[in-house]
Amino acid sequence: MDKKQIALILGILLVSAALLAGCTQQQAPPQGIKMGAVVSLTGAGSNVGKHMKQAAEMAVSEINAQGGVFVKAYNKKLPITLIVADDETKGDSAVKAVTKLISEDNVDILVGGYSSGVTTATQGVIAEKKVPYVVTGASSPDITRRKDVNTSYFFHYCPTTAMYGQYTILFVDQVMRPAINERFEFPDNRTLRLAVLYQDSAYGKGVLNGVISTITANNLNIEIVSNQSFKLGETDFRTTLTAIKAAKPDVIYPAAFPSEQIPIVTQARRDLNLNTIILAVETNDNPDYYKGIGRFGEYSILESRFSPYTVPPTSVAAADAKFKADYIAKYGAFPDMMGVSTYEGVYVAAKAIENTGTLDKAAVRDALANLQMPQMVEAIKGGIIKFSPDYREVQFELFMTQLIWDDKAGENRPKIVWPENQKEASFVLPDWYQAGTG
Amino acid sequence: MALDFGILIQVLFWGLYAGCIYILLATGLNLIFGVMKIVNFAHGELLMLGAYITATVFVLSGFNPYVLIPFTMFVLGLIGIGVERLCFRPILGTGKLNEIFLSLGLIYIFQNGVALIWGDDRQVLNSPYQTISVPIGDIQLPLDYIIIILVTALILVGLYVLLRRTDLGRALRATSQNRKGAMIVGINVERMDMISFGIGSGLAAAAGTLWVVSGQVFNPYMGSLPAIKAFAIIILGGLGSIPGAIVGGLIYGIAENGAAYFLGGIWKDSISFLILIVVLIFRPTGLFGEEGE
Repeated sequence: MDKKQIALILGILLVSAALLAGCTQQQAPPQGIKMGAVVSLTGAGSNVGKHMKQAAEMAVSEINAQGGVFVKAYNKKLPITLIVADDETKGDSAVKAVTKLISEDNVDILVGGYSSGVTTATQGVIAEKKVPYVVTGASSPDITRRKDVNTSYFFHYCPTTAMYGQYTILFVDQVMRPAINERFEFPDNRTLRLAVLYQDSAYGKGVLNGVISTITANNLNIEIVSNQSFKLGETDFRTTLTAIKAAKPDVIYPAAFPSEQIPIVTQARRDLNLNTIILAVETNDNPDYYKGIGRFGEYSILESRFSPYTVPPTSVAAADAKFKADYIAKYGAFPDMMGVSTYEGVYVAAKAIENTGTLDKAAVRDALANLQMPQMVEAIKGGIIKFSPDYREVQFELFMTQLIWDDKAGENRPKIVWPENQKEASFVLPDWYQAGTG
Repeated sequence: MALDFGILIQVLFWGLYAGCIYILLATGLNLIFGVMKIVNFAHGELLMLGAYITATVFVLSGFNPYVLIPFTMFVLGLIGIGVERLCFRPILGTGKLNEIFLSLGLIYIFQNGVALIWGDDRQVLNSPYQTISVPIGDIQLPLDYIIIILVTALILVGLYVLLRRTDLGRALRATSQNRKGAMIVGINVERMDMISFGIGSGLAAAAGTLWVVSGQVFNPYMGSLPAIKAFAIIILGGLGSIPGAIVGGLIYGIAENGAAYFLGGIWKDSISFLILIVVLIFRPTGLFGEEGE
């Protein structure tokens, strides 16, 4: 064998070794599953964002304590690495945050999203990159129903504004209207006067649309006598509430974040002497809300699916109590609703990855679409978490609470007043209540 | 929308209250601009600092927050002096861009510093008089807002007395009118810069305190929008004109609330800038401004 032949053989061996090494590397499992959490740590949504972050961290910590998620493609459990990004409750900041998660951090899946307007701003980027996103806070139905963006990678793991708007208005019609009519001896066919005060965003408009469609679809005897909007982050509602007061409503339905709902309630009751019942959307079921509204929120109504201070008498009662105990032990504070849906959202994402056995995004997306897993902390209709085939939404069991003052706590505490199968107290129309008109 | 007189009075009242916050903020800004001819975009952050200092001392001590106003004004006055000495003094005369970037940098320093110390969360305080209303005819006006209007008037009277009836005030006005002339007659203009910045910061602190006492939500980023509006007010009223700041603040407060009532809440901020544009078209120097400013 001459030198040229030896050199040729050595060269072939070296190239073969390099190729084999490359193949081996391609087969090496990733170090973990990268899960991006999009939360509002600053801005108008920060009261809620911190709970979403903490709850996500708690879920990841629990999963990793068991070794992580078993991914069949690598025949091993992979830990989850949670990468938290602050969307600052602003659309442009959210786009930057999500772009970084996808392009630089190379996340396998996303969870979170609070403000609907902010979340919808990120959908173009996420849809283009085809990253599965379990949305756990933003409630606009547009997120999975809009036609201008491919929403097939978006999974709505929280009730939409249409769902809880409907629930709330049915409660108003079935419980509040008869109570008001009875107190003031109004005829049964008296039209209830409703005022809606909504955040000028996809979320707020979604609630308004949910209210209107519920009234129309069910032919309810409710008239919207005033609808006023405000910009996200507004803090002074006095003039807007004055306009609402001028319309003489029986009930006021704000669609607001806690940082807005708190001044709405306090300014309405304290500054304008609006002696009416104020409703609240579920996002306000947050410990800071109870603290912020003080006694001014007494007898107000709060639609919910998870409350820090009460447990619905359903099959998830034990899981609810355990989650709260674990969260308090870890963070020294009560959890809030968006936190628990984000906690569950992490488990949902993990289950989908386990089910499909790979980190391939298209496969994970399909696994989410076909997911069926038992309910966890929040009660789900039928007891099984599954996304609807058309718009990838989940049906939660909702309930209505009324806030009653608790001297011992020095704050209001919720009592479930509807529906009947979850009720723990009857709805109370306070002595100071004044109907809009006779 | 039917116009009820009682409702109109209430809307005017809310406008007057909002105007008080703007007046104090814009007057402070105008005082600083008048003497130093610098633009401080971080002025809204001084309002924010005032809000936090008042809220913190109130929670820790239980002192009536209205009583804390002089204390907060004093503390912010000292901070203002520090900012003037350490930040603006070294770059005075080196160009407007330097002033702008410096104040933009101060915005982030203040916002992030407060977020680090107090957290990002939006907070709200309750005034000790929150449950008290004063009946005026058919209307119940919350006592807090009456106090806020009176406190604002008192501060403005005090400022008037200072500027018109004291040697210090005359020196400040002289510096603002003609800096070189003031130097020639022996006025220490650098001392005037320091004092004007201190007083301007104190006025911002008063605005922040009244914001907190009225039960509005406060957070580290609350100063941005009021600062922009304060700039719009001083342009509307005339750069360097304190009467202009007062009139401009009132116009803004009432116009915003009027727009919110008649057009809807989302028009509240837009109307302020629409007014500015309209006024500048007809009077480019502002309502009380002078040529050349």
